[in-house]
Amino acid sequence: MNLHPEQLIRVISNEAFHNRKTVVTIFIVVYIAMVALGLAWPKVYTAYTSIVVEEKKVIQPLMQGAAVATDVADRARLAREVIYGRKIMDQILEYAGWMKNNLTPAEHDKIIKRITDKTIITNIGRDIIKIEYSDNDPERAFKTTQKFADLFISETLRAKSAESQSAYDFINKQTEAYHEKLTKAEEQLKDFRTANLDARPGSEADIALRLNQLQDRIQHATQDLKEAEVRKDSLEKQISGEAEVASTLSREGQFRSRIAELQSRLETLRLSYRDTYPDIVQLKHQIEDLNQAIAEDQQQRAAAKASGRVVLNEGMINNPLYQQLKQELSQTKVNIEMLNTRIAEAKRTLAQELELGKRVHGGEAELSELTRDYQVNRDIYQDLLRRRENARVSMNLDIDTQGLAIKIQEPARLPRQPSGLRFLHFIIGGLVLGIALPVGMLFTRAYLDPRIRVGEVISEKRKLPLLAVVPQLWTPSETQMLHREVEWLSLVMSGTFLVVALTAALRFMDVI
Amino acid sequence: MSKIEKALNKARAAGGLRVVSSQLPHAEKEISTENLPAAVSTTALTEQRGSAVEAIARMKEKSLLDKHALAQYQIIYPGMEETRTVRAFRELRTKIIQKTQGRNCVIMVTSVVSGGGSTFVATNLGAAFSFDAGKTALLMDCNLNNPSLHRLFGDRNFRGLTEYMDNSGMDIAEIIHQVGIERLRVIPCGERREIAAEYFSSLKLKQLLVSITERYRERYIIIDAPPMSESADTQILAELCDYVLLVVPYGRVTDSQVNACAKAFSDKKLLGIIFNNEPEPPKLKWRSILNPFIALWDVLFHPVKNNPEHSK
Repeated sequence: MNLHPEQLIRVISNEAFHNRKTVVTIFIVVYIAMVALGLAWPKVYTAYTSIVVEEKKVIQPLMQGAAVATDVADRARLAREVIYGRKIMDQILEYAGWMKNNLTPAEHDKIIKRITDKTIITNIGRDIIKIEYSDNDPERAFKTTQKFADLFISETLRAKSAESQSAYDFINKQTEAYHEKLTKAEEQLKDFRTANLDARPGSEADIALRLNQLQDRIQHATQDLKEAEVRKDSLEKQISGEAEVASTLSREGQFRSRIAELQSRLETLRLSYRDTYPDIVQLKHQIEDLNQAIAEDQQQRAAAKASGRVVLNEGMINNPLYQQLKQELSQTKVNIEMLNTRIAEAKRTLAQELELGKRVHGGEAELSELTRDYQVNRDIYQDLLRRRENARVSMNLDIDTQGLAIKIQEPARLPRQPSGLRFLHFIIGGLVLGIALPVGMLFTRAYLDPRIRVGEVISEKRKLPLLAVVPQLWTPSETQMLHREVEWLSLVMSGTFLVVALTAALRFMDVI
Repeated sequence: MSKIEKALNKARAAGGLRVVSSQLPHAEKEISTENLPAAVSTTALTEQRGSAVEAIARMKEKSLLDKHALAQYQIIYPGMEETRTVRAFRELRTKIIQKTQGRNCVIMVTSVVSGGGSTFVATNLGAAFSFDAGKTALLMDCNLNNPSLHRLFGDRNFRGLTEYMDNSGMDIAEIIHQVGIERLRVIPCGERREIAAEYFSSLKLKQLLVSITERYRERYIIIDAPPMSESADTQILAELCDYVLLVVPYGRVTDSQVNACAKAFSDKKLLGIIFNNEPEPPKLKWRSILNPFIALWDVLFHPVKNNPEHSK
């Protein structure tokens, strides 16, 4: 049931009164039980010691970067690892007197487990480790704690020295291995260079340049060749369209055209004049002369033809364009031939260069690999050499116990007073628990039980009018009986407190 | 305690109010207001009230229960120490009077479950009404299956409701009894019957209630009804009443049970909830209790008296 805090307190107090016998009974039972538990609770004595673990303040700055100091992040954890180890535990068992009887392995383990459970190792500040050990026997607690501290110190120093030595040994071994590898890599590189003289740095680039030039040359020549061939084709076409000779106007033709001209003039004059007109007569004579000349010319050619003589035709001459084209064609053909020769030569050179390139490329890859191996091995070797020197210094520091100062800050003492839960704690705890338990039970019931114990709930939750809250009305006899009952409860409580007080007194006097 | 109550008590101590007519056998027969006109002036009403108070004051009382007996019966009385319980019943009475505007009425008191304290509430409510010298209360035990009011009488042979219902010729006055508390009258249950529903639904009971209500204008009728969880007759009975008081016992019922019971009545009829029997320790002598020596002395040498003196 959801109640307001003040309602809850009222309900708990009402219920505590209502169930007064039960509440008092629970209180007494719990209280007595806690006191009895306190009596039975074993006394525990705790001895402790603290150990200072620190780097040498002078050495550290001097050896900064050269020697590696032990990490101090969690010394308590390291201390636990060391102390709980079988080696130290066995010594502890023997020293503190656990090994008196012949123990079976199971008993042995059980004792070790019990000791580790009762041992607390903590870091106090940065450099101090506190070792606490609790035992029923104060003498044994003291001796065990003391031995823990001694063994821890000696074991830590030994372990640290051994660690440094092993680190140096390891690094030294690695250094030698890498030295061998480096020597081998150098040999391989030398052999390769001897075998491949071409394989020098930059050869491949030169070849590539040359190959590019050759390819450019071939390309240009090919281009020129194509142009020349096109030119040749064009010239041949032009030559086929041109006549070898050019014909000029013949003498006969000249005569005839002159005749035609004169005839024309004659016709024109005849329109105006008679045939006797001098100009006409003159023209006629001229025409007859011309006709005669034509006839003579024809006779001469016919005679020449009949006799088989070559007669130079006055009208035929060599064609100059033809001649020029013929000359250019010839020139072009020569050019084509030359270009073909050049391309073939370039291709041959290109093939040679390619072959050389292939050879050089393979060699250079191998050279790179060998060089890289050499460089890596050289770097690692140099690094290892440096590390080996650091490790040597660290080892020397540990041998001389200069790297880590470990000493007992506070030696273990024999505990006089028991620690942990004491009888007084049980008395106070029993009182608190005896009250808290019934109150808690009442609280739980008030919280979980849905039955109404506060009148206001009716009006708040169901909105019903609450007219009155009537408290219990006690009859005189009930009041008297209640009075007597409360007196009884008071007496029982008083008796309980008396018993507890007597028990405590006897306990503190070490009677019980 | 009101001034009127104090004055009346004082007068009673002087014996001035013990004047009763010897001609009338019962106080109920001394005064009748039945013939009063319906509409009266304020002055007339005041006068009537005054005469009613006088008539009530002249009510014949048998020997009264002393305060030890009343305390043993868990009944509050005027001279009682002003505890929260007494204050609660006084306030409850005042609220009811305010609600009814001074008009008398029939109030049914029922509990959600059996043993919820309806008889306790009804009795003390009646006692609270009777504190006022100008008012009277009549308790009527209608819990026919499990009657409780008869405990106020020394013996169980008083005639009550069932006899009246069974005998048609019986006068009302024959079933109204004094119990030793001033201005408080009781109608006991009578012989037990199993036919409560028939009684509650009968016209005769209705007439009885009307009759006793109208008989005294200053008389409040309080009916102790069976618990809601045990009898369906309670709702039938509620129809005859003006108001209902629902008693919720501490730590015994859930709010849903209360809600279910409350819903059985209309909002006008349900006057309210009485949360009863909240644990509260009485005033104890803690100093002697916490002193172990005194406590031990008491336990050893002062036995508890379980039977206090009960006189009428």
